[in-house]
Amino acid sequence: MDVYITSTGAFLPGPPITVEEVEGVLGAVNGKPSSLRVQIQKANKIQTRHYAIDTNQQTTHSNTEMAANAATQCLDRAFLAREHIGMLAVATTQGDHPAPGMASMVQAQLKLAELEILTAHGICSSSMMALKAAWNSLRLEEHEAALVVSSELASRLLKKQRYEAATQSTFAEKRIDFNTEFLRWMLSDGAGALLLQNKPAPKGVSLRIDWVRGFSHAHAFPTCMSVGSAGRVGDDRTWQDYTTYAEAETAGALLLRQDVRLLDNILRMGVDGYLRLVQEGVSKPLEVDHFLCHYSSHHFRDKILDLLDAAGVGIPEERWWTNLYTRGNTGAASLFIMIDEFLRTDEVEVKEGQKILCFVPESGRFNTTYMQLTVVNV
Amino acid sequence: MNDGEILIEGGQENTPAEATPPGIDLNPHAQRCLQQLLRVWLGFERDLSTVPLLRRIDLGTYTVEDHLCLLRNLRQQVIEGSRWITRAASSFDRNHAEIRSTIIAHAVDEHRDYELLERDYVASGGRLEDVLGMERNIGSEALHGYLMHRSSRPNPIDLLGAMWIIEGLGEKMARSWAERIQELTGLTEDSTRFMTYHGHNDGDHMLRFYAMLDEVCIDEDAAGCIVKTSKVVARLYRLQLEEIQHGIE
Repeated sequence: MDVYITSTGAFLPGPPITVEEVEGVLGAVNGKPSSLRVQIQKANKIQTRHYAIDTNQQTTHSNTEMAANAATQCLDRAFLAREHIGMLAVATTQGDHPAPGMASMVQAQLKLAELEILTAHGICSSSMMALKAAWNSLRLEEHEAALVVSSELASRLLKKQRYEAATQSTFAEKRIDFNTEFLRWMLSDGAGALLLQNKPAPKGVSLRIDWVRGFSHAHAFPTCMSVGSAGRVGDDRTWQDYTTYAEAETAGALLLRQDVRLLDNILRMGVDGYLRLVQEGVSKPLEVDHFLCHYSSHHFRDKILDLLDAAGVGIPEERWWTNLYTRGNTGAASLFIMIDEFLRTDEVEVKEGQKILCFVPESGRFNTTYMQLTVVNV
Repeated sequence: MNDGEILIEGGQENTPAEATPPGIDLNPHAQRCLQQLLRVWLGFERDLSTVPLLRRIDLGTYTVEDHLCLLRNLRQQVIEGSRWITRAASSFDRNHAEIRSTIIAHAVDEHRDYELLERDYVASGGRLEDVLGMERNIGSEALHGYLMHRSSRPNPIDLLGAMWIIEGLGEKMARSWAERIQELTGLTEDSTRFMTYHGHNDGDHMLRFYAMLDEVCIDEDAAGCIVKTSKVVARLYRLQLEEIQHGIE
């Protein structure tokens, strides 16, 4: 049973925020401008991004609302009545509620009755997990259509008040705490949605899903990107182990962290996974017409290019396409937001039979995911 | 050290294959072999993260005692390394004169590296007699036995797979261990010269490696045996590093 992406949608909250405006939205911690912001932004080359908080750090859109907005746009563009959707799969790093799963909330918001739901919890690659589950349920012919949504509201984690409250954290102690601040200038908000069906759309472009694969290396590596611990050597407590949530916050256990020293491992494992797919004959680099690669920062683009080239499985740079620089790094939502714009942009010509390779690496604890799509033009 | 600079500038990041200069053209067998070697390397490098002593470098709990233990355990392998490589050189016949010359040159470069390591050991606060008196650990025995066996066979081209792993590790020590170890332990660069020295030589060594691979990896059998030896060496090298833990216990 072939399965197709027949419609897409995206939602980016508020106006585009420029490089210079970012700190005005997230807020200067204790009134002092960051000494790392410019350096990190220069490296990631993201020019504009969107936030679901305003300049007073008040939430303008919930994560659920953003997901529902992207889903609504996707469904409004679809040649399918909503009643035919049998499954809703939603991916996010952090829903509005720790419980229940975000898919319940998005379902309620969309008023989709009596369908199967799935919440994929993770970081960037959770979108691919949700997509794979939906794809498989269509392949098993349990449903004729499934809606897959990924949404991120990272800015709530990144606003100045989070850092100001962490008075006994490594961030408060160190003059510069790169690991805690790094993601502050990287991530932003948004949502994307894909409609999967067991047949192509009656007109226009559909994307057949050829395969989805993932390789996780959590068994070997320490955690690299996380929320929930204070980031101190030898302190194994996670946020719920503190006597009160307030203590966890003070200790910095609720801050988003990236162990930047470990980051290069995700690139290496990403290339390893792709080499594996090439060696298995699953992917053929020469047949890839478009490469949609989720990378968190421009800094990593060149590294991935070099590594793939060195391994003899390089994909020429002109076949790469991304909207990272204008839409920002929206984590789990990135790939879907990318696919949505890719199908609409004038920058590339999408033709029948072309192969699209998608790659979503997740540094959390080193998961690498890949997907191939084939363009079907009715 | 400045995390930011490391990440943003990132100039010193290299796997062995990243050092492939754009001008090098490998024959198709060598190219496929290199892809497989790269996977073996990446798997080896990943699995090193599971070795308790090395995991402490990642987690930031590595101590001076760990460093002394690592050096004590590496010394035998470094000494034996120069032996198997010269043995391998002598096992190539005249039809392989070019590769023999390359391997001899390589051996000359490295055959006294263990002296560097001994000085590191003393600079780290260890007693010279302790490092001199250390016997091979179980993993070193297995690795050494295997390498001497392979290098005694006629025209042991499969040892390119061994060099790939061992050179790669030397480069990794320079790239990701040396500075981090100094930072974690308060030791100075005098304690990590053995590690950093390998990084300096790496570029040349990799160029020689690609030239050798292109020369000898001319069919599937050659590629197969090179890759297999790289896997065995990767596994035995990790065993050697895992056995260090028993020295600590």
